[in-house]
Amino acid sequence: MFKRLILEDSSVWYVITAFVTAATIFLTITWRALRMPRTEVEKFAQLPFTTDANERHDPHA
Amino acid sequence: MSGQKITIEYNDRVVRQFLLATVIWGAVGMLVGVLIAAQLNFWQLNFATPWLTFGRLRPLHTNAVIFAFVGNMMFAGVYYSTQRLVKARLASDFLSALHFWGWQFIIVCAAVTLPLGLTRGKEYAELIWPINLMVVLIWVVFAVNFFWTLARRREPALYVAIWFYISTIVTIAMLYIVNHLSIPTSLLHSYPVFSGVQDALVQWWYGHNAVAFFLTTPILGIMYYFLPKAAERPVYSYRLSVVHFWSLVFVYIWAGPHHLLNTALPGWLQNLGMTFSLMLWAPSWGGMLNGLLTLRGAWHKLRTDPVLKFYAAAVTFYGMSTFEGPLLSIKSVNALAHYTDWIIGHVHAGTLGWNGFMAAGMIYWLLPRLWNKPLYSTALANLHFWIGTVGILLYVAAMWTSGITQGLMLNATTEHGTVLAYPNFLDTLNTIRPMMLMRVIGGGLYLAGWFLLVYNFYRTVKGAAPVNGTIEVYDEAPAPDAKLSLAGTFFSAPTVFWFLAVGFGSMWMFGTDLVSTAGIVGAVACLIAAFALVPSRSKAWGGWYEKLLLNALPFTLLVFFAVVAGGLIQIIPTVLVQKAKNVEDRIQTPYTPLELAGRDIYIREGCYLCHSQMIRTLVPDILRYGDYSRLGESIYDHPFQWGSKRTGPDLARVGVKYPNVWHLRHMEDPRAISPGSNMPTYPWLLNHSYNASVLPAKIKVQRMLGVPYGPLTAQQIFDSMDEQAKGIAKDLRTAGAYVDSDKEIVALISYLQTLGKSLPVITKSAPR
Repeated sequence: MFKRLILEDSSVWYVITAFVTAATIFLTITWRALRMPRTEVEKFAQLPFTTDANERHDPHA
Repeated sequence: MSGQKITIEYNDRVVRQFLLATVIWGAVGMLVGVLIAAQLNFWQLNFATPWLTFGRLRPLHTNAVIFAFVGNMMFAGVYYSTQRLVKARLASDFLSALHFWGWQFIIVCAAVTLPLGLTRGKEYAELIWPINLMVVLIWVVFAVNFFWTLARRREPALYVAIWFYISTIVTIAMLYIVNHLSIPTSLLHSYPVFSGVQDALVQWWYGHNAVAFFLTTPILGIMYYFLPKAAERPVYSYRLSVVHFWSLVFVYIWAGPHHLLNTALPGWLQNLGMTFSLMLWAPSWGGMLNGLLTLRGAWHKLRTDPVLKFYAAAVTFYGMSTFEGPLLSIKSVNALAHYTDWIIGHVHAGTLGWNGFMAAGMIYWLLPRLWNKPLYSTALANLHFWIGTVGILLYVAAMWTSGITQGLMLNATTEHGTVLAYPNFLDTLNTIRPMMLMRVIGGGLYLAGWFLLVYNFYRTVKGAAPVNGTIEVYDEAPAPDAKLSLAGTFFSAPTVFWFLAVGFGSMWMFGTDLVSTAGIVGAVACLIAAFALVPSRSKAWGGWYEKLLLNALPFTLLVFFAVVAGGLIQIIPTVLVQKAKNVEDRIQTPYTPLELAGRDIYIREGCYLCHSQMIRTLVPDILRYGDYSRLGESIYDHPFQWGSKRTGPDLARVGVKYPNVWHLRHMEDPRAISPGSNMPTYPWLLNHSYNASVLPAKIKVQRMLGVPYGPLTAQQIFDSMDEQAKGIAKDLRTAGAYVDSDKEIVALISYLQTLGKSLPVITKSAPR
C-alpha cells in the first residue's frame, strides 16, 4: 500500500496536486474577496476606528 | 438604534502587565543572545561552567525571545485590540490574571531548568514535560478567555486581525501538543513518542509553524490593527487582507519539510515542502504590500513619528525575510545554505526586524494611552530606531557573508569533484571569525537600542497613573439571520465539497490500485459537480461565507480543518510507514544501556545545537563525513539528532573514527586536539558520575516506544553498563588517561563511538 511512498515513483504527482489544490483555494478566495460589496469592505476596514470617537480613558483604574 | 446604552471599561490592566513583561524578558532574551554570540568568538566566555555553556544557554535564548518576549508582546497586542474590535471587556478578570501569572511562571521555570541541562533535545521544544503541561493549560486559559470574549462581543463582524488571532490559537495548540507527545521516565525527563525520520518531520512541522503561527500570524493581526491606527487611515486593501489570511493559513502549514532538504527524508515530502514554500511568496508579499501601502499619504509622518518608523521597517523586514525563506527552500540553494550562518541571518532578519520592531512600535504607541501621559522622549525612541536598524543590518550582513562563505568552502571540491578543497573544518571556522565578531557588534547595538526603550518606558510610567479605556455602546443582540449553526456550517455545500475532495484525494494518493482509482474518479466527479453547481448556487454559497465571517465558532473550526489537513497528509504516512520493519538498506542497532546514558548526556549538553548527525545526499557531505545517512540509521532515536546547524562538523559517522582517548582529550580541552576550535571545555564530565539508577526506567520507556530491547532486569542493565564502562576506562588507561569507569565522559565516549554503526537489512525479496 505504501510502497510507492518509499520508492517515490509518484512524488511528482504530490507536487502537482499540492500546487493545483493551493491554486484553487487561492483563486476561490480571491474571487470571493473581489466580489465583496464595496460598502461591506469599507465597513470592515473601518472597524479599528469605530471606538475612537467615543473611547475615553478612566484615570481611576 | 435599539438596545440599551451601556459603558464598558476595558481590562487594560492585563495589557499593561504583558507589556511590562515584554520589555523585561526582551532584554533578558537579547542579552543571552549577545552572550552566546560572543561565546562563539571567545570560548573562554563559557567559563568552564556547566550552566553557562553555549549548549545550555542557546535554548534559553531561543525560548526566551520566542515564548517570553514575542509571547508576552502578542498577548498584550491581542488583548488590547480584541477588546476594542469586538467592543467588549475581556470575559474574565480571573482568567486574564491566571493567563499572565501562569505564563510568567512557565518562563521562570524554563529559565531555571534549561541552564541546568533539563531538556527534551528538540529545538524550540526543549522544555521538560511538566512545563509542557503547564504551557498547554495556560494556552487553554488564553483560548477560553479569548473565545468567551468573542461570544460576548457587541460588534458582529470579525475584523481580519481577529481571524489571525483565531488561527494562532488553534494552530499553536495543535502543533505544541503533537510535537510534545512524550512518555516520562522520571519527573524531569521523558522520551518523545516519535523517533528518527518521524520525529524529524514532526519537529520541523512544529518548528516551521511555530515561526508561522507564533511569530507571524499574531503579529500580522497586530499589524492589521495597530498600523492603521498609527497611520490614522484604514488598511490599504481589506480585500487583499482576506486573500492574505486564507492563502497563508492554507499554505504555511505544508512547508515544514524544507528544513530537511537533501536529508534522508523521503523525496516526496521534500518536494512538497519546497513547492509550498515557494508558494508562500505570494501571500507573504501580498501582506507586506498591504502593510506598506497603508502608509500611503502618511509617509511624511515617518520623519517625526518613531512608531511609524518602526512599523514601516518591520513590514519591510517581513517582506525581506519572507522573500529569503522561499529562496532558501529551493533544494539547490538549500544545499549551500543549510547548516550555515545564512539560516541564522535569515531567522534574525525576521525576529529582530519584524518581531522586535513591531513590538517596539506597539509599545511606543501604547505607552501614552495606557498611562495617559506623553512618551518621555520621542528623541530617544528615534535613536532606538536608528541604533536598532544599524544593529540588524550589521547582524544580517555578517551572517549572510559568513553563511555563504561557509557553504562555499565546505562544498568546494577539486580534482573534478573528487577531493575536498578545504578538508579541515576549522579552515572554514577561522575564515568566518570576523563575521562572527561583527554579529556580536550588531546584536550589541540592537540590545543597546532595546535598553533605550526600557529607560523610556520607565521614565514614561514613573509617577503616571494607569488608565483603562472605556466606551459607550448600545447593547444589541446579533440579527437572527446572521447566526450560523454548527450543522449549517458543516452540512453546507462548500464544506461538504472540501471534505470530499480531501477524502478522495487521500484515497488517490495513498490507496492501492482499486482505492486509488476510486479516489481519482471521486475527486474528478467532485470537482465537476462543484463547478456545475457554481452558476445556480454561487449566491447561496456566498451568503454562507458571509455568515461565516460573523460566527466565531464555525469560523474557528474551519480554520482548524484547513491547518490540520496539511499536517495529517504529511505526518500520517510517515508515522505509519517509516518503521523499522519497513526499512531498507541499513538499520540502526539499539544503544547499549551505557550508550543510552551517554546519549542523554550529549542531549543535556546541547551538542546537537552545533553538530548535526545527518550526512546529506550531496557529494561534498559524503567526501567530508562518509557515506550518506540512511533513513533506518536513526530509526530508534528518541529524539532524533539530525541537527540544524554545523558550528562544528557532522557526527553521524564519528564512531570508531578516533580512539577513545581522542574524545576524552577533546572534551577536556578541544584546542589541544583541534587548534583554533571554539568549542567549550567540559571538565565536569571527567568528575561527575553518570546516574545508572535511572537507566531501567529509561529502557522500559524505550521498549514501550518500540525500540527492540530484550527483557533486561535492572541488575542486567547495571552489569552491562559496568562491563562496557570498565572496558573503555581500561582502554583509556592504556593510552595514558586515568579516569574512573563511572564518570560521565566514559558514557559519552561510548555513545560517540557507536555513531554510524548500523546493520545491513537483509530481505528475502526486493520490494515491489
